Amino acid sequence: MAKHSPVIGRYVTIEVDGCEYKVFYLRNGSGTPLVCQHTAGCHNHQWRDLLEDPEITANYDVIAYDLARHGKSDPPLNKEWWKEEYRLTAEHYMNFILAFCDALDLEDPIFMGSSFGGNVALQLALHHPDRFRAVIPVEAAEHAPGFFLEWWRHPHANAAQVCASGVWDLMAPQSPDRDRWLTWHYYTQGSEVFQGDLYFYSVDHDLRGRLGDIDTGRCPVIMMTGTYDYLTPPEATENTARQIPGGIYIEMEDIGHFPMSENYPVFSVYLKEALRLIEERR
Amino acid sequence: MAMSVRDWAARFSEASDRDPAIAAMARHFTCVYLWDMGAVQVIVRMVDGLVHEINIAPGPLDSYDFALRASPETWREFARRVPAPMYHGIWSASFRRDLKLEGNLLVLMQNLRNFTIQFELLRKVGVPV
Repeated sequence: MAKHSPVIGRYVTIEVDGCEYKVFYLRNGSGTPLVCQHTAGCHNHQWRDLLEDPEITANYDVIAYDLARHGKSDPPLNKEWWKEEYRLTAEHYMNFILAFCDALDLEDPIFMGSSFGGNVALQLALHHPDRFRAVIPVEAAEHAPGFFLEWWRHPHANAAQVCASGVWDLMAPQSPDRDRWLTWHYYTQGSEVFQGDLYFYSVDHDLRGRLGDIDTGRCPVIMMTGTYDYLTPPEATENTARQIPGGIYIEMEDIGHFPMSENYPVFSVYLKEALRLIEERR
Repeated sequence: MAMSVRDWAARFSEASDRDPAIAAMARHFTCVYLWDMGAVQVIVRMVDGLVHEINIAPGPLDSYDFALRASPETWREFARRVPAPMYHGIWSASFRRDLKLEGNLLVLMQNLRNFTIQFELLRKVGVPV
C-alpha cells in the first residue's frame, strides 16, 4: 500500500522588481496561513515535519516556499542572471515575500523564518506590520555579521561539502543523526547561492537603532533561539527582543540554528507556545 | 589523570580508521594538521582517509598544512560526550571561544567533511590533556 503524504507541492509565477520567478511551495493544513522561510542556501524541506504535524495543520495552513534560486524555484526566467553576482538585499527579499503572499491571496498570514529567514521577519515587522498577523523570527538578531565568507563558493574546494559541513556545528549534538545528516544533505544542494544569501544575512540586514520603531501592537514579534546557535547566540536574540517594545523572546534548550530541521519534536514544543501567544493577542 | 599522548594516538588512529562515515568518503582525504592542546601537540598525517602517522613529539621544523590551537580546558570541553554550547565544533569554538584556526585553511576546507567527523571522535576517544 503506497503511503502518500498530505503535503501538496505547486508552482506559482510571480513578478518581483522586474524579475519573473516561478516559485515552488509545499502546503498542508487549513486555518490561519503560516508562511515558512527556509534558511540561507537551503530549501523548503527543512519544514518537512512541520508540514506533516497534524496538531499544527488542524488549525494552520502551513506554506513553505523555496525562495527564488533555491530548491525547485529557479533564478529569474527573464534575466541573464548568470552574468552578475547574486547578492540578496532586504528590499528584494521583502518584495518577494509580499508578492508571494499576494499571489496566494493569503489573508493576514503569520510569517516564520529561520536564520536569514528570521532576520527578514524582523524587517517585515518593521516595514510591513499591517501585512502580517505576527512574525516568528527564529535564530535571528538585529545584526549578524561574520558569515559573508568567500569559502562558501571557493573554486579550489568542494563548495557543496564546505557549505554543508561548515554549518554542521550550527546544530546541537543532541539532535538526531538522521535529521542532522538530512540537513547536511540539503546544504550540499545550495552552495552557489549561500554566499549571496549571506550578503543579506551578514551585511545588508542591520536594524541596529531601528528596533524601537517596530510596532508590536500591529505585528506581534515572538523570537526564538536555540542554545547551541553560535552564529546568533541566545544573548544576541534576547538583546534584540528586549529592544522591541512588546517583543517576546523564547530560549530553546539543546537545539541549534536549524531547529525545525535538526530536531522538530523539540522545536515544535516552543513553536506551539509561540502560536499560543499569538492567538492570545487576537 | 589524562591518558598518555601515546595511548591517545593509538586510540584516535583506531577510531578514525574504523569510522564508517569517514570510510564512506575516504578517498582524497589527505592532509597534515597540528592540534595544539597547550602542554601536548600532535601532528596527524592523513592519507586517503587513513591515519598514516601521528607525530606525538613535533619538532620546531616539522611542517603541517593547518593548525588548531586552544587551551587545554577547551580541548577537554571538546572531549565531553555531549559538549556544552560553543564547544561543540571548530566553527562554534573559533567564533565564540579561544580556538584559533591557523595555516593554510584552504586545505581544511578541502577536507572539511571528514575532518569535522574526525574532530568529533574526541567525544569518544578523549584528549591527552
